[in-house]
Amino acid sequence: MSYERRGGGGRRRHHRDDYDDRRREPYESPDDKLKNAIIKLGEVDPVEELPRLEKQIREHVPRNIPILSEAFRIGVTEEPYKTPYYAALLRLLHDPSDVGIPDETPLGRLILEDFWKGFQGYLDKVAWRETRLCIHFFAHLTVAKLISPESLFSLLQSFTAVLDEFGVSHGRAKRAALCAGEGLLVVCPILIPGGGHLDFSQAGPILKQYSPSNTTDIIEAIRTYNELTVTQKWLVAPVTKIYSDVVPEENAVELLDILLTILQTLDRGDFEETANCLPRPYSEYPEIDTTVLPPYNLPLVLVPPEIIELDALSGDSGEEAQVKKEEWPEFFIRLFGSEVSPDFQNPVGYILRTALLDITDIFEVNRKECARLLLEYPKWNLPGTFKPKPGATVTADPVPGKDWQLESTIIETTLGAYLILPESSSKSIYYTSLITELCKLSPSTVGPAVGKSIRKLYISLSEGLDVEVARRFAEWFAVHMSNFGFQWVWKEWVPDLSLTVQHPRRAFMRRAIEYEIRLSYHDRIMKTLPESMQTPEAYTIAEQAPGPDFGYDDPGKAHHDAAQAVLNLFRGRAKAEDVISHLDTLKSTLESSDEGHVNVDAVVRSIAVQSLLHIGSRSFSHLLNAIERYLPLLRNLASSGVSSVGGGGNAEAKADILSAAAAFWKHNRQMVGIVFDKLMQYQIVDPTDVVGWTFLNGAVIGQFSELAGPMNLSTFEWDLLKGALDKANGRVMIARRKVTALRKEDDDTRARVKASTDADTMEVDAEEKPEDTTSDNPALVTALKAFSSLTKEQKAALSKTLEGFVSCLAPSLTDPSPNPHARTVISEEAWENRANWGRDEWSAWETWGWYRQFCRAYSPYLRTYSNTLYAISFAKFDGSKDPAAELLKRIWNIATGQDA
Amino acid sequence: MAHVVSSLDQPSNYKDSQTRVDRMKQNEMLSKSTTLYIGNLSFYTTEEQIYELFTKCASPEDGGGIKRIIMGLDRNTRTPCGFCFVEYYTHAEALASMRYVSGTKLDERIIRCDLDLGYKEGRQFGRGKSGGQVRDEHRQDYDPGRGGWGAQAQRIEIERRREVEERYADAVDGPGAVAGGGEDWKEAENAAPEKTLKRGRSPDDEGNNNGRLGQRTRTEEDMEAERM
Repeated sequence: MSYERRGGGGRRRHHRDDYDDRRREPYESPDDKLKNAIIKLGEVDPVEELPRLEKQIREHVPRNIPILSEAFRIGVTEEPYKTPYYAALLRLLHDPSDVGIPDETPLGRLILEDFWKGFQGYLDKVAWRETRLCIHFFAHLTVAKLISPESLFSLLQSFTAVLDEFGVSHGRAKRAALCAGEGLLVVCPILIPGGGHLDFSQAGPILKQYSPSNTTDIIEAIRTYNELTVTQKWLVAPVTKIYSDVVPEENAVELLDILLTILQTLDRGDFEETANCLPRPYSEYPEIDTTVLPPYNLPLVLVPPEIIELDALSGDSGEEAQVKKEEWPEFFIRLFGSEVSPDFQNPVGYILRTALLDITDIFEVNRKECARLLLEYPKWNLPGTFKPKPGATVTADPVPGKDWQLESTIIETTLGAYLILPESSSKSIYYTSLITELCKLSPSTVGPAVGKSIRKLYISLSEGLDVEVARRFAEWFAVHMSNFGFQWVWKEWVPDLSLTVQHPRRAFMRRAIEYEIRLSYHDRIMKTLPESMQTPEAYTIAEQAPGPDFGYDDPGKAHHDAAQAVLNLFRGRAKAEDVISHLDTLKSTLESSDEGHVNVDAVVRSIAVQSLLHIGSRSFSHLLNAIERYLPLLRNLASSGVSSVGGGGNAEAKADILSAAAAFWKHNRQMVGIVFDKLMQYQIVDPTDVVGWTFLNGAVIGQFSELAGPMNLSTFEWDLLKGALDKANGRVMIARRKVTALRKEDDDTRARVKASTDADTMEVDAEEKPEDTTSDNPALVTALKAFSSLTKEQKAALSKTLEGFVSCLAPSLTDPSPNPHARTVISEEAWENRANWGRDEWSAWETWGWYRQFCRAYSPYLRTYSNTLYAISFAKFDGSKDPAAELLKRIWNIATGQDA
Repeated sequence: MAHVVSSLDQPSNYKDSQTRVDRMKQNEMLSKSTTLYIGNLSFYTTEEQIYELFTKCASPEDGGGIKRIIMGLDRNTRTPCGFCFVEYYTHAEALASMRYVSGTKLDERIIRCDLDLGYKEGRQFGRGKSGGQVRDEHRQDYDPGRGGWGAQAQRIEIERRREVEERYADAVDGPGAVAGGGEDWKEAENAAPEKTLKRGRSPDDEGNNNGRLGQRTRTEEDMEAERM
């Protein structure tokens, strides 16, 4: 392995440029050199290098234990695939030195003791990944007899203790369970009578005594916790049925579930499979005589409580609104059979996949290096695990039951991490770019794996693949194709054009093509499609490039002249107030004309907004310029002529503005999203307006009128909702940060003042004045006010969204254009009959899917307001037996944590 | 993760060669920068295509998003000349673009991203003698995406070019030529101008620039070292 550009201390070596000669190659001290040598272990062959590295470490003077233990810590936590070799190195360093001083503490032990301090540091910071990876190391060292099994088990048990904490969050419990469970998995050889395949002939009888109670306790603790998460699993499984909370196992596996299954297998004494999961190079060395060198006892630890943000806002808002993520079980989608990629459910599969996931996670900062390391992974595992590379010179004999395809395993694992619900741990685009890099490194082997994955995901679209997973699939597909010349063989999906127009597969094709066009252009993408998909009747790609549609362009249409006049004012860069007075005149003219019976306000708004968008239609920048130049006009329109209403505006007027914008860009949904976003950004409309508008009008915007139907939500409408909700939440976030910063500033000032006053009045034992809690800092007062009004807006947007979903999915007679199938698609019978579903059934089904995504993705926010929101949207169903209402409530309760 | 590999989000050797800000100040500005310089674009790539790709690095739930895009234009013809600035609301989004987007393709070209000190008036124009970017003056290869245009090009692309060329015909110079992009949320009644969190330009920067920029020869350029 070559680590290019690594300088001492991890600073990037910069290319020298003409005037920057200050960044020289950093000086590398002998200590740094040694540290780097340890970190670089195994660039060629780890086993061969170990004795050499051991010698180098021993000969290094003066001895610097902290440097050595730091190097081990970096290795173990940043290159976890090397951990068995670091354990072997530490094992070698436990041998007595050549000098042979009697009773000398071995160098390895000194390093281990110092390493422990670092571990304690990770634990104190609740750095879960580092903590877990150190535990792997300790478990290896226990097998190598350098750490006492008793102390390892008590360490693992301090993690299972977390599972019993009152009100423990799922994120914390999950990570703690992984620490304990994975530790147990690595240490498993000592639980095997006779030491398994390892040559620890006398070990068995002695070590076996630790096994029964300790392992059972650990496994039992994980099992008990895991049982509590059944309903949550139903809400985040990538493939589910609406009607049943049984998650089909063949499509996806949940991380904690499989860890538990494996540990239970292990506990039943079925060790055959667990022995060959990991390399254990230290087992090749002579066994440590524990009577001469007693194993190290890991000190007792307590996992510190969750870090609570002390500066979280108190009283003022009345709402405690911390946003915590990753509160859900983690499902990984299964794309291949166990002959292609390892089954997650066996120990080797678990270890391989979590090893790949750790690499993906750790090397997120450099996707190129990450891709290289993933493809190099087989070097760190046992020979024969993966099929050799085509043309490889050294080939190991395939191990029966292994011999998997590396690239398929990597792609499946990466896509698994990408498709986690409600959201992946890194940004979506990271996984996309990582797969791109993998393909670039080895196109001939990774390319086919990507193709197979796409086909598999495509097939599962009709088997209940979650709508958010389907959306991300389309997003990845488009960006991936954009990086590889849009070369997809669309032909193979032509037969699916016979499916109903809203069938998930057809929806996928449309969406993927729409996203491709956004990244490229219409004609380019059109050329990649087979003829049968190009025709308008295929409803797969729009006939025309997605241009604007100025509703008053046609001289034959109503208001053409009026609109031309407004347009000319804009073109001539007339002042906003002049346009406003022109519009007032226009309004009176219209009112007095024959057309007076129509909604004149709406007509004037539409003319004004469409004309403004028309002059801003050339590019995103033109749009911004147009909006900025005519902000007073837009504000005037939004408030329905009533000047400068603080925030509020007129709901009907704002809905008209949104309708006009959506009509103008009806052929270009990307622009609808952008215009809405900027209208919110410039505070012409509020997120709540966008939410309300979307539920009433969203379904009519699109390229194909055939797709419009009764009230439903597709991906496009979901994107609009998400844009609005994220805007509302993001503003609260900014306001909160501002308040926190000002508070801190205020406190500091106060403390300074107090300190100086105290100094002045040293002798007078003046009574402490009661702390003035309401600050007189005007900036803080303003910030608090902003925070409170933004919090209200946030709550309103969430509430409006929930109401919208409820009226879509459990419509009452008064709701506009209810979908008759909203109630019917949720039964098992209906689902089994889905081959006969038409447009409206699939639309209803998709809307249910977005409701689920809304609840799980925004659950941290929804929890904050759960009581109020419940009262607004669900109280009316109390006592009702409506199955749709029941299901709505059930999903809501799971997401807000009220499901017992 | 600083020990084993370098992060892709570090500032590179890219710089604005006409800046008059000292090195330390520059580094400090880059460490908070919300602006990216995007290079090696096709002349025909639109702002909407750029928006579509870069919005994937946005974090609206964290108060972020794309604030504005400033298309780099040929000084003389007012047509795109293959670079742009993307400005986000937050620094983290700019870093995400460095990590995940820089070095990937847009419009079938590998684009590069670099943290930038922030857009300043005039920087939207190419600095080459011809009006475009300097790199396109020294370039030897035939590059259809960057003006290396010939008869073999298809009619459809000519059409596309015509549209693109007209698009910025109205671009102007001087203050207010480029939209601000909308600031953070403000309380409507409280019109009192408040200091925003946005990186402020220190008066020094402006002072240093006064009167000197115009006289400098414009042959140096954005150090478009092509390292892709």
